[in-house]
Amino acid sequence: MKIIWNGITKENAIFSLTLGLCSTLAVTTTVESAYLMGICVTIVLFFSSIVVSLIKKIVPDNVRLPVYILIVGTFVTIFELLLQTYLPNVYDLLGIYLPLIVVNCIVLGRCLSVYSKKGVTYSMLDSFEIGIGYLLTILLVAFCREALGNGTITLVDQASSLFGAKQIIYLPINDYFPMLFFQTPAGAFFTLGILIGCFRLLKKVKK
Amino acid sequence: MKQFHVYQGTQIKDSNTSSKMMYHLVLSLLPIILFAWYQRGIVPYMEERTDIIGLFYPLLFLLLPSLITYLMEVLFHIHHPHPFKDAFFNYGFVIGLFLGLILPFQTPVVILIIASLFSSLIGKLIFGGFGCNIFNPALIGYLFVLMSYGAVMSVDVVSSATPLTNFKNLGGIGNYHNLVEPYGNLWNFFFGTIPGTLGETSGLLCILAYFYLCIKKVIKWKIPLIYVGTVFGMTFLIGGYQNLDIWFPIFQVLSGGLLFGAVFMATDPVTSPTTPIGQILYALFLGILTVFFRFGTSYPEGVMFSILIMNLFVFILDQVGSKSRFNFTHAIIPFFLAWTLILGLGVYFGLNVGKEKTDSNFHIISKEKNQNEFSYIVEQKGYAGNIKARIVIQNYSVSSFEVLEQNESYYKRVEKADYIEKLLENQKHLEQVDTISGATKTSTALKNMLIHTLEDYEKEVHS
Repeated sequence: MKIIWNGITKENAIFSLTLGLCSTLAVTTTVESAYLMGICVTIVLFFSSIVVSLIKKIVPDNVRLPVYILIVGTFVTIFELLLQTYLPNVYDLLGIYLPLIVVNCIVLGRCLSVYSKKGVTYSMLDSFEIGIGYLLTILLVAFCREALGNGTITLVDQASSLFGAKQIIYLPINDYFPMLFFQTPAGAFFTLGILIGCFRLLKKVKK
Repeated sequence: MKQFHVYQGTQIKDSNTSSKMMYHLVLSLLPIILFAWYQRGIVPYMEERTDIIGLFYPLLFLLLPSLITYLMEVLFHIHHPHPFKDAFFNYGFVIGLFLGLILPFQTPVVILIIASLFSSLIGKLIFGGFGCNIFNPALIGYLFVLMSYGAVMSVDVVSSATPLTNFKNLGGIGNYHNLVEPYGNLWNFFFGTIPGTLGETSGLLCILAYFYLCIKKVIKWKIPLIYVGTVFGMTFLIGGYQNLDIWFPIFQVLSGGLLFGAVFMATDPVTSPTTPIGQILYALFLGILTVFFRFGTSYPEGVMFSILIMNLFVFILDQVGSKSRFNFTHAIIPFFLAWTLILGLGVYFGLNVGKEKTDSNFHIISKEKNQNEFSYIVEQKGYAGNIKARIVIQNYSVSSFEVLEQNESYYKRVEKADYIEKLLENQKHLEQVDTISGATKTSTALKNMLIHTLEDYEKEVHS
């Protein structure tokens, strides 16, 4: 529990370090795509952390980056092929942002700065912490954007083959309520900016 | 209390202070406001088309956002006190005034309030208040409303289409008969008896305000002149290729918010360049972008967008301007770019505008002919995957439209709104049917599907 709390607040990759913004801005149009993306990143991060921390002694310093990209890329490709076979709808939903996990700053940054220096157990716990932090953060962004911009909360839609049935909560709408602005890319930047501002403010108040 | 440092340097004491500038600005807006009141309030009241609330509604429409933006600024100044300025003496009301002048007159009051809050907070106060904003605050509010409530704002399009929406509905080009004649002649455009927002209709009053503000040194004379000149030149080129007379560029200049935007919006002292060469480049690119938005995109009006986009480049243009003040070689590349774009885009739109476009998301799977009954099975890309539907057309009217396959996320909303029945009822003017908020892409796909099928049907019948 403490690990999860730490991942959300102190080591929050998006709000504190502003890493991995590409996927945060792009896939947060629905809650569903956000949590699927978060799960993907967490899984890739978890497996990469194990391998990277295991081979940390045999990798020379000057080829660290290519080797880590290769490792992360391998896991992403495995994951991508699995999704393409078993959940083609989810694969289409995430689109280009799935292969882009390879160059996600969070994954690479953690590999370079933490997993290449620490032991396996620590790395595993750390990957879990960062992954959960990322997942909850983009879930929050997506929730704000979807509820304000579309008037819905999509729990299960494209992944219905996994969960059985579609689950979409429809909020009551009128002429003024769903503000389409929040579904646009500009709205993504706006929402993220406001949320980061609130996060910093909370931190300041706490101190 | 903060200390105010005076550094060495040239300090000019001038009587042209910001409160004096604001005074002249509001004074020059006064005829426009009065004319708008006469046009939208007094005339309908005299003709007994409206009641006593309708008489004063145009004034309230301007007063309400002004009051809100003023109060927002007062709150901001109470929270962040300025060393010398009184919190209650600020120019926040100008944002609301401009917002009321550029938003369509049929905007609901709730949206007006949201827009004024947004423009004051996000457009100005978040950057630090007066003189710190990089974008024109009123335009930020306008953009927010346009992006969020496109469907609500376009209500009542049929009865009072502005000249530019009419222009867009005609497919981006037309002739004197269907562009100007529905509104009388070009003098009506000049005096302002055409539909439009409160501020933008009268060309004459905008030009008078331009001369007044230039004499009082409130605005920079170069920007509006070159901006309007560029639009005139480019549309002249386009009109020339389309065999249209000199009325076409005049129509383009006088319709929409071009004159109002050029005089009042593009020349905002905070968000426009200060160097002369920077100003010229700024105005040239404004003109290019406006023509691009009017002819190259689906939006009828491009003035407000182009001003916002060029606000981004003010810093760069000022750098170019200050470098090339003594050595003009620094400005050759930007000027070359501007002239190439003016000529290139002019020729391109002149040759290509008005040609029919095909929608690559639309496919006809099969069509059957039975005497005078056509049965189509068509496919159109929606929000998630393709929508497949059967459409039956009899004697130029759609008799049945049933969706066979769909995987849309928010299809329940479409069903709930009886959208397909609505489309069938209004099949003669489908362009004006609103989309459903919350299921925009799905409803647009259904609408486009019907439009494309009808187009194909007409081709079949005529051949």
